[in-house]
Amino acid sequence: MLAAAIVAIATVAALVLRDTLAPTNLAMIYLGGVVAIAMRYSRQVSVTASFVSVAAFDFFCVPPYLTFAVSDYQYVVTFAGMLAVALVISAQTARLREHATQAAGRETRTEALYRLSRGLAGETSIFEAARAAAALAGEVFGTRAVMFLPEDDGRLSFRRRTSDPLPVPPSEESIAQWVFEHGHKAGLRTDTLPGATALYLPLRGARETFGVLAILPDPEGRIFAPEQQHLLEVFAGQTALAIERTISQRTAQETHLRMQTEQMRSSLLSAVSHDLRTPLASITGAASTLRAQGDRLPLETQQELLESISDEADRMGRLISNLLDMTRFESGGVELRRDDYPLEEIIGTVLQRMDRQLEGRTILTELSENLPPESKPIMVFVDDVLFGQVLWNLLENATKYTAPGTPVELAAFEEEGAVIVEVRDRGPGIPPGEEERIFEKFYRGKSETARGAGLGLPICRAIVQAHRATIQALPRKGGGSVFQIRLPIQSK
Amino acid sequence: MKPLILVIEDDAQIRRFLRAALDAEGYRLQESATAEEGLAQAQSRQPDLILLDLGLPDRDGLEVIRSVREWGKIPILVLSARGQEKDKIAALDLGADDYVAKPFAVGELLARIRAALRRSTAAATGAVVRFGAVEVDLDKRMVRVDTQDVHLTPNEYKLLQVLIQHAGKVLTQRQLLNEVWGPQHTEQAQYLRVYIAQLRRKLERNPARPKHLQTEPGVGYRLLTDDPA
Repeated sequence: MLAAAIVAIATVAALVLRDTLAPTNLAMIYLGGVVAIAMRYSRQVSVTASFVSVAAFDFFCVPPYLTFAVSDYQYVVTFAGMLAVALVISAQTARLREHATQAAGRETRTEALYRLSRGLAGETSIFEAARAAAALAGEVFGTRAVMFLPEDDGRLSFRRRTSDPLPVPPSEESIAQWVFEHGHKAGLRTDTLPGATALYLPLRGARETFGVLAILPDPEGRIFAPEQQHLLEVFAGQTALAIERTISQRTAQETHLRMQTEQMRSSLLSAVSHDLRTPLASITGAASTLRAQGDRLPLETQQELLESISDEADRMGRLISNLLDMTRFESGGVELRRDDYPLEEIIGTVLQRMDRQLEGRTILTELSENLPPESKPIMVFVDDVLFGQVLWNLLENATKYTAPGTPVELAAFEEEGAVIVEVRDRGPGIPPGEEERIFEKFYRGKSETARGAGLGLPICRAIVQAHRATIQALPRKGGGSVFQIRLPIQSK
Repeated sequence: MKPLILVIEDDAQIRRFLRAALDAEGYRLQESATAEEGLAQAQSRQPDLILLDLGLPDRDGLEVIRSVREWGKIPILVLSARGQEKDKIAALDLGADDYVAKPFAVGELLARIRAALRRSTAAATGAVVRFGAVEVDLDKRMVRVDTQDVHLTPNEYKLLQVLIQHAGKVLTQRQLLNEVWGPQHTEQAQYLRVYIAQLRRKLERNPARPKHLQTEPGVGYRLLTDDPA
């Protein structure tokens, strides 16, 4: 309609100027009209307008007026030229416009996909990725969208979905399942079940289908335009790729973890085989000597061998206990049984159990001796057995790594909302830079001469951390080291 | 006649060294490798003490304790794996007298056996009990340390009295709470700990290294009235 009006306006303008301008110049006015039409309407319209313009030019502007007859045959050249120019303009302008529309479409699509990939980039869980993608699909296509994911048994259902309430009728679950199993789209306006309320698209990655995207038609039905359909498919594909990436990342992480575990196991094995074999060798050696030559050995030697059997067995026993404890901690099989205990009771029990090892040592305890009998003991909220084990390990280290006869101190006091327990020795101290590393599994100090599996302190740390407390090794003024446990005051 | 000890233990190597050690001490011995056989022998031979391993192939050792306690008071000493506090408590609550954690040194085991046999044959405790520097007159309810009178609150005294009655034996927290405070307070272990701490301050020379009022970590308490063997 408007195209016709433009031709009419051109005609009116040409009629007004008919007496002042040569007819060939009037043709330019019509050409201007064709340009205007071509810019706004389809190619078909502008081609029609081209022919109409040439006819109108002949009718109104070429003498004799108001007939299609032509007096001067030169005008035939004008008509041909005018028609050719008008048609070329129509074609070119239409193509230009098409390009512009396509570019704009590409831009929206690119933007939508960019937002999708950005939205999915941070998601580490499959479900969250699907939820973000579904929300974005709804936004980009101006309608409601939902994604369905398969359950643990691998079957797709409407139960695992990204939004509530369910925007499609429950009866369409079988369509979603069909789409999931076959990897083809179905539902509204497709070849399969076109009567459905929504369009169902598979989330198809490189190797498998991860779920189904269901999208409801927007009010204008724009999603059915070919380029929107294409965009939808790309959208579903991108989501599937993101999910695939999430899965492969997770697999990579698991592989890494498995490798670490493997590495740990091999270092454990080498440490264990060495540390178990050494005492075992002593035991086997001493026992076989006694059996073969017992009656020919002096009594004193027999006694020595027996003692070594007993000591080495103790050592093996401790190592096995440590290994078991560490394994239990690492597999998460330790449950703290915390309660309020007087600290001195835990310390007392440990000292009592260590009586033999502590022989010849001065153990100074700084907590209750100096307190009057009626004062309140320091209470700690701990698992008494495990916390006792921490003190046991620390005291054992103190006796193992310091010269016999040097004093060991055990002190406890309250400070800034925490109970501080310290085991202090006058040994060689910890070499600078190793204060942290000594808490690592299987770490043995460079200068270490005493024998150990490198498990005592890691167990201490594991237990202390399970209590939400901290443990650290500090240098001691005047020589030696201090192992300090800081236990925030808590209660049940 | 020498006391008869019934050993219920499935491991042949452990039975072997127990046999050697108990023989050397002059005890008479009866051995069985299963709970079934052990229970039958306990009834037919009426031993003076049962050494019971909790991990038996045919039945849970705890069931053996339960069955024996249905008809008799034979002292039961449990051999348990280290770290199994739950099992120890269950065994003691069911009526076992004591436990020794594996691996154990024979000296410790023999001391426990002696203590358990002595408790079961000893006549009612005399009116005055002494351990270390402590002297308790049960008739007059008087407690002295180094001949100095010590004042105990009624609950402290009651706790001490229960410990003296079962001297040498491990009492679980539940058992102590039940006897001192009554059956409705068996979950309030922190009461008990505070009272024990106070008793130690009043009776022990070094409460942080008690010689008599000993803690069995994760299980309960034991009063040692003589120097440990």
